[in-house]
Amino acid sequence: MDRLDSELSENDLGDGLKAVGIDRPDSIGALQDAVRARSASGQAMFAQGGRTSLDYGGIPRCAGAIIDTRKLNRVIEYPAADMTITVETGMTLAAIAKVLDAENQRLEIDAPQADRATIGGVYATNSTGPRRYGSGRPRDQIIGVGFVTSDGNVVKGGGRVVKNVAGYDFPKLITGSMGTLGVISHVTVKVRPKPEASALMVFAYDDLNVVASDLAILNTSVTRPVAIELINGPALTRLGLPHSAWAIALIFDDNEASVAWQMQAIRSELAGKVVRDERDQASAPLQGALREFTAERIGPISFVANVPYSFVATLAMSVDSAVWAIQSHAGNGVVRAHALVDDLARLEADVVKLRDLTESVGGNMILSLCPTDRKASLKVWGNPRGDWAWSEKVKAALDPAALMNPGRFVGNI
Amino acid sequence: MSAPATTPAAAEPDFVQLLNDGLLAKFIEAVGEENVLWRRDELVVYECDGYVIAKNSPDVVIFPTTRDQLVATIKICHEAGVPFVPRGAGTSLAGGALSVGGGVMITLTRMKSILEINLRDRYAVVEPGVVNVWLTRALAGSGFHYAPDPSSQGACTLGGNVATNSGGPHTLKYGVTVNHVKGVELVLPDGSTLVTGGVVEDAPGYDLTGLIVGHEGTFGIVSRVIVNLARDPEAGRTFLGVFDSVDAATETVSGIIAAGIVPAALEMLDNLMIRAVEQAFGFGFPTEAGAVLIIEIDGLEAGLERESHAVAEIVRQNGGEVQKSIAWRTRKEPEYVAIWKSRKSAFGAIGRLSPTFCTQDGVVPRTKLPHILRFITATGEKYGLRIANVFHAGDGNIHPILLFDERDPDQVKQVLLASHEILEECVNVGGSVTGEHGIGVEKMEFMPKLFTPEDLSAMETIRNTFNPEGNCSPSKMLPMGGGCIEKKSPGHHASA
Ligand SMILES: Cc1cc2nc3c(=O)[nH]c(=O)nc-3n(C[C@H](O)[C@H](O)[C@H](O)COP(=O)(O)OP(=O)(O)OC[C@H]3O[C@@H](n4cnc5c(N)ncnc54)[C@H](O)[C@@H]3O)c2cc1C
Repeated sequence: MDRLDSELSENDLGDGLKAVGIDRPDSIGALQDAVRARSASGQAMFAQGGRTSLDYGGIPRCAGAIIDTRKLNRVIEYPAADMTITVETGMTLAAIAKVLDAENQRLEIDAPQADRATIGGVYATNSTGPRRYGSGRPRDQIIGVGFVTSDGNVVKGGGRVVKNVAGYDFPKLITGSMGTLGVISHVTVKVRPKPEASALMVFAYDDLNVVASDLAILNTSVTRPVAIELINGPALTRLGLPHSAWAIALIFDDNEASVAWQMQAIRSELAGKVVRDERDQASAPLQGALREFTAERIGPISFVANVPYSFVATLAMSVDSAVWAIQSHAGNGVVRAHALVDDLARLEADVVKLRDLTESVGGNMILSLCPTDRKASLKVWGNPRGDWAWSEKVKAALDPAALMNPGRFVGNI
Repeated sequence: MSAPATTPAAAEPDFVQLLNDGLLAKFIEAVGEENVLWRRDELVVYECDGYVIAKNSPDVVIFPTTRDQLVATIKICHEAGVPFVPRGAGTSLAGGALSVGGGVMITLTRMKSILEINLRDRYAVVEPGVVNVWLTRALAGSGFHYAPDPSSQGACTLGGNVATNSGGPHTLKYGVTVNHVKGVELVLPDGSTLVTGGVVEDAPGYDLTGLIVGHEGTFGIVSRVIVNLARDPEAGRTFLGVFDSVDAATETVSGIIAAGIVPAALEMLDNLMIRAVEQAFGFGFPTEAGAVLIIEIDGLEAGLERESHAVAEIVRQNGGEVQKSIAWRTRKEPEYVAIWKSRKSAFGAIGRLSPTFCTQDGVVPRTKLPHILRFITATGEKYGLRIANVFHAGDGNIHPILLFDERDPDQVKQVLLASHEILEECVNVGGSVTGEHGIGVEKMEFMPKLFTPEDLSAMETIRNTFNPEGNCSPSKMLPMGGGCIEKKSPGHHASA
């Protein structure tokens, strides 16, 4: 698990750096004032929400002040019948879930550590969980955003209606921007009714070639899973599942009749052996475990590779299961791995080799966890891409003094 | 952020002189004479897009056939410092493809190859001039499809769709263009190229793909698109719900959404539209009805029965009747094709109602649909105008079509006033002035009503980053940095 908030000192910026001050604005106006004041004295600003990912990304270029967003925790508007909600940035996913629960709705974002992770943090880091296969990524849910730029202005994009093409799509630009363009103040996202039924099935495999063909079958399956997870032996053990070399976990969400039918139909499609099939509440603990495992900290390094869907099994084959615990959102081409050993030389060699492999097929690999002193040599964001020059220009346009989370993002943005 | 420098409206050189002094020869050398139009009579077609109210002829139209030719064309424009505007099929309803102030028009319709379809990795790579429906056809029977399906899909290009972030009837459940674009290649106004995204889902760096979708041609010209392919639904039910009044129909829309049903499509036609469509296509719409809803649900056959009953029940609760129920396994079944043909061709039927008309595009929160439809009726009465409605009800995306006679200057004035009031009301109830057609030249005046000066200044800063000299699509989308076009008549176009 990630470090608990209590293990962090209040002025930790991440990567061993200490903050020069902390602001805890409790309104968007107060947030603007805080940013303006820090800007005026040329101080860098590091927005922090649930503090679940303080070490994520490049090393801050300089120390600066913490802007703690957790007191920005109100619902601004929740027209349930419109299936949208507008909230301040510091609300945790769990707090939002509670509000939505009253209307039998939910966020289509299953990021881990919901009781700590704030919606602003989720949007800054583009954090996703297993259900992204069925419901898309955070970028697909956001329809409006406000963010405070280093001059203290709130800049907005999008709006509160589900369809809107007026102006540039700042909601997309902000998603995954790592807080480097401004401090997100509020977001409007789409919500959906909770499904009536849910199920989780786990299929075990000895042979990765069979996994590969079952993944291809899932691409055109008569069923419509909302999550397709590929897990290797060590990860299965940690998840408390029966041991096998590999397993595919599927989640189905829909009405009763559909879920029951899918659970039957998939059995005749896949070659793997069913080792778990759980319905509804009974499936909740394992669904939760799969979601939380994405943020697991085991060894010193974790990586996230993005590859074409068809390449997932090939990449998995190249990852040594004695060294890495793998959880892949296989339907999305995302392969996550957490190091099981501390041997940095070995891990570094693997990172370089596997990164080459992912890049050879048009993919990429980032390090979601990396010791501070290895961040530069191991390139947490991977090898430079052609479009990074444009990320830098966009950064310079919206944060010309480079005060927002400096150093955290690609190309040392 | 510092206040951005305002870009001067692109200079208007004496174009004919420039062309004669060698510019035309350069274009011809770059793309071949057969791909350049410069004679006055040939240019007329390009003086406007679907927004026929604002007209201005470009001085030369170039049709690059390859990316290299496109780059060469843009470089020539850049070196000469002349303004240029991209154009796809010209179906924009907001004047996006209007050549404001003249200059070069770069039409992408001859870059029209589907370069790759990869079903296992669920993507296709296309050139910008590929017509939306060509991709649909190329994928037919494969089990996959490209989801965004604007009603104009038989004509509009994927490059145009990317530029305007197009929607369509089925974007209610499946999302709009930006949700289905994985990467783009953009040729910038200086002729350099930016490639964003790719065949994989996430890439480190800002989501420039997301930013570029919907840029309305103000960043550069999209030369290639990687689109996402979605699974076809296993099955569906398409219902025709019939109502005595528009009110009952809009209450049903709100009721369906509030009941937690996410239909694949939820479209409304009011009585005027029903009669026009029925005369044109004879689908069997009840011409006495106050309004009809086309309600479509899809998913797994095993789960559809329950939802079908729920939909029918909500229709009944609101005093409506389900008059047709089409159960389908593919979107090729004749009755299914017929109902959607009627819906998507609705604009073509409007000509039967009135010689001229003006289609608006506004959005309201879905719960405000009953209110805005009543407001539209009242506004029609107030100005003595007939207004027909055919729209994407499930998204709250209204398209009131104001009928008028353009020979009567009074009516023209009334139409403009009425349009304005309707859009203002959309803003007042928390909506937007465009759900899918874009700002173009038509709605720039509304931008300050939707956005603060700070928002607009940030947008202008971004525009200037990509398009520092402002020569690419000048005077579009953002109200600053270029002259606004004064609107004198509301035009003939229609859509949805
Ligand atoms: C009958 C009718 C029905 C319609 N229905 C819908 C609907 O349901 N949903 C919807 O969203 N829209 C609809 N529209 C509007 C229109 O079809 C869309 O906006 C469409 O995406 C425009 O595509 P186009 O190829 O015609 O582009 P154009 O009209 O030629 O251009 C549109 C804009 O895109 C820019 N552009 C075009 N190509 C490029 C490129 N390669 N690179 C950069 N910029 C470019 C142009 O400069 C312009 O700003 C409808 C229009 C009509 C006439």
